[in-house]
Amino acid sequence: MLEPFQLPFVQRALVELLLLAVLAGTLGCWIVLRGLAFAAHGAAAAAFPGLVLADGLGFAATLGGFGAALLFALAVGRLGARRDRDHGGGDGTLTALVLVAALATGIVLASDVFHSPASVESLLFGSLLAIGAGDVRLAAAAALVALAATWLLGTRWLATGFDPQAARALGVRSRVPDTLLLVLVALAAVAVLAAVGALLATALLVVPAATARLLSDRVGAWQLATVALAAAEGALGVWLAVELNAPPGATVAVVAGAVFALVALLPRAREAAA
Amino acid sequence: MSALVAASDLAVSYGGGEPALAGVGFDLRPGERIAVLGPNGGGKTTLFRALLGELRPAAGTLRVAGRCASVPQTERSRLDFPVSALDVALMGTIPGRAWWRRPSRADRAAARAALARVDLADRAARTYGELSGGQRQRVLIARALVQDAEVLLLDEPFTGLDATSAARLEALLAELAGEGRGVLIATHDLEQARRWDRVLCVNGRQIAFGVPAATLTHDVLAATYGGAIVTLPPAHAGAPGPQEAILPPHHHHH
Amino acid sequence: MLHALTEPFAQGLMQRALLEVLLLALVGGTLGCWIVLGELSYGAESLAHGMFPGLVLASLAGVPLLLGGAAGILVAALAVALAGQVGRGRIGRDDAVAVAVTTLFGAGALLALSPRTPVGIQGLLFGDVLSTTGADLLAGGALAAVVLLALRAAHWRLLAAGFDRDGARALGVPSLAVDVLLLGLVALAVLVAVQGLGNLLVVAVLVAPAAAARRLTQRLAPMMALAVLLGALAGVGGLYLSYYARVAAGASIAGLLVAAYLLARLGAAASSTRKGRAAAAG
Repeated sequence: MLEPFQLPFVQRALVELLLLAVLAGTLGCWIVLRGLAFAAHGAAAAAFPGLVLADGLGFAATLGGFGAALLFALAVGRLGARRDRDHGGGDGTLTALVLVAALATGIVLASDVFHSPASVESLLFGSLLAIGAGDVRLAAAAALVALAATWLLGTRWLATGFDPQAARALGVRSRVPDTLLLVLVALAAVAVLAAVGALLATALLVVPAATARLLSDRVGAWQLATVALAAAEGALGVWLAVELNAPPGATVAVVAGAVFALVALLPRAREAAA
Repeated sequence: MSALVAASDLAVSYGGGEPALAGVGFDLRPGERIAVLGPNGGGKTTLFRALLGELRPAAGTLRVAGRCASVPQTERSRLDFPVSALDVALMGTIPGRAWWRRPSRADRAAARAALARVDLADRAARTYGELSGGQRQRVLIARALVQDAEVLLLDEPFTGLDATSAARLEALLAELAGEGRGVLIATHDLEQARRWDRVLCVNGRQIAFGVPAATLTHDVLAATYGGAIVTLPPAHAGAPGPQEAILPPHHHHH
Repeated sequence: MLHALTEPFAQGLMQRALLEVLLLALVGGTLGCWIVLGELSYGAESLAHGMFPGLVLASLAGVPLLLGGAAGILVAALAVALAGQVGRGRIGRDDAVAVAVTTLFGAGALLALSPRTPVGIQGLLFGDVLSTTGADLLAGGALAAVVLLALRAAHWRLLAAGFDRDGARALGVPSLAVDVLLLGLVALAVLVAVQGLGNLLVVAVLVAPAAAARRLTQRLAPMMALAVLLGALAGVGGLYLSYYARVAAGASIAGLLVAAYLLARLGAAASSTRKGRAAAAG
């Protein structure tokens, strides 16, 4: 059963997923706590055309992806903060449409400009073979940054997430930490992309944190549980991806969704929801 | 003349639970304006919903002889909605029409007439959200008039109005009452309440009902509002005695 | 010049595509106004994304996409509602939607990519308006007619419920029934549009024209007319783009739709800034 894990590229994928679990565990909780799930999804989708472009023009793919994701996260975050509900069609509309534009641009660039349709599927759903040494380094760096930022800014993010007005009254200046959170979301979206793809980034960035939230009431415990959960789901996802010859994003998403459903059926989570 | 609304020992609850309002007994006669005074969550909205037929009495009797129409607070509606004043008044024709039918010529004429009745004939084509607070309130009254309502239920209609708009609204309510309609006005404003014909105080149950001068005693107000009542000193040297006022309620808008 | 305009539509394939995009503009523009006013953009998008496994299964089994899509949408709506129930009070509505949609999307990708002969996943994701068949047009037209008739019949009730829910209830308009009707119509519209735009780009035609028109007019009737017009222009423009520049038709249409929205948004923002300055405090 453990046979696949003797293959070098599978080992590398496993290391990648374990590093990403640390990232997902720390940052995912902030994403869920601050209601940034849609923004995380959008940032990953925005990274897709960035990666295609970088790939086609031959500059560092990470840079292209990160640039696009960052642009998206900051724009949506800024406009989301303003919440222009008076004019109707507020940020939900903007996020949805920018996301569509990113995907449309990506597919046109990939299939009609650079003629690399083969890479589209791996960019959208991840690929075991596409994970290179650079991706592992990126995952490690992103995990470290997320840990450091949580250690430095965690209390501020928590205060603002709990009650923005009270936090302001307490003198917690939330603008810079909040912007930093959006930058980190963009970074995370790019970091998980090689493994789970642009369309399924939320499988790591949102689903494990949402699952663990059903069971834990303290931020520290929640984050530890999320890391453990994401690591287990990631390892199982890699194994399934090898066995089924499927993209790892798809297997991780299905495993994570199944775990969520199982946890939701646990008596404790049901009690909490009631 | 027989009463438009008559309630005796009325209790109303949501979904069969504990009654949100109990022990209500009052009558509304044609041409009468009654203030409904009470704290937030005290049962004013519950009473209105029972009168509209949305909630069934859990106990007691409630007899409604005329058609009731509600005039909600203008801030409950979406000001960014792309509707004109005429569109809003036309919504009043929905109850009288089969669901697949569109407004007829007669419906449009009725809506225009109702807008003219509240003195807004020249604003019919204006966007609702761009009207002033007082004008919006009158559009909603026009919507109720389109329904041929004999009983108007107004939810804090004076909130946020300037003195001129408030005076104008008060004159309109007097005219509508003069036509033989009954008007119920939910309010927090004690000064306003003193000027209506009768006042109904509720706080989970009926506290008192009667003409303002005899009803609005300190004890009744204390029972109605709990601790949230203060006694103000006379406003100036010649003013008659101390006055009661209710601390502004905490609104939660989300 | 005239020849350049008519030439693409000499072939039957492009004629059918033209009819299809006009159909989409009609449904998307009218229903889209209610989606935008009801702030249902995210809901429409989740339904469209969540139907993916249904599309894949239909395509693997060789049954019409419409059937698979319909089943997929039902499952997606159910999954979103259930995830929301479970997480209530702990995770936000958006998180619940993300969990449901991510799982369904993963399942769709797994089904599509793991078999020995993978299905044409790009067509499902990004649509293929140029392969519209006569039968597709017929089915799409029938569904579109249902949507338009329902919108016409329910117009005043939708308006009253959107304007204020409490007031609508007092008028005898049950807002829950109105919500369910609207979501049902969104599901039908997604089914109409998925053939042409694929499940990733479908939301563009349902949201972008109406959201753009919303910025440009203050009244519902012109808003709907403008939205239909914008949708038709983007649709036809996208077809020209795909014919002459040889780029994917669905992606071109979606791109033009979003561009129209962003332009309208920028234009409205600029004019309101000017107005705001002119009126100082007003």
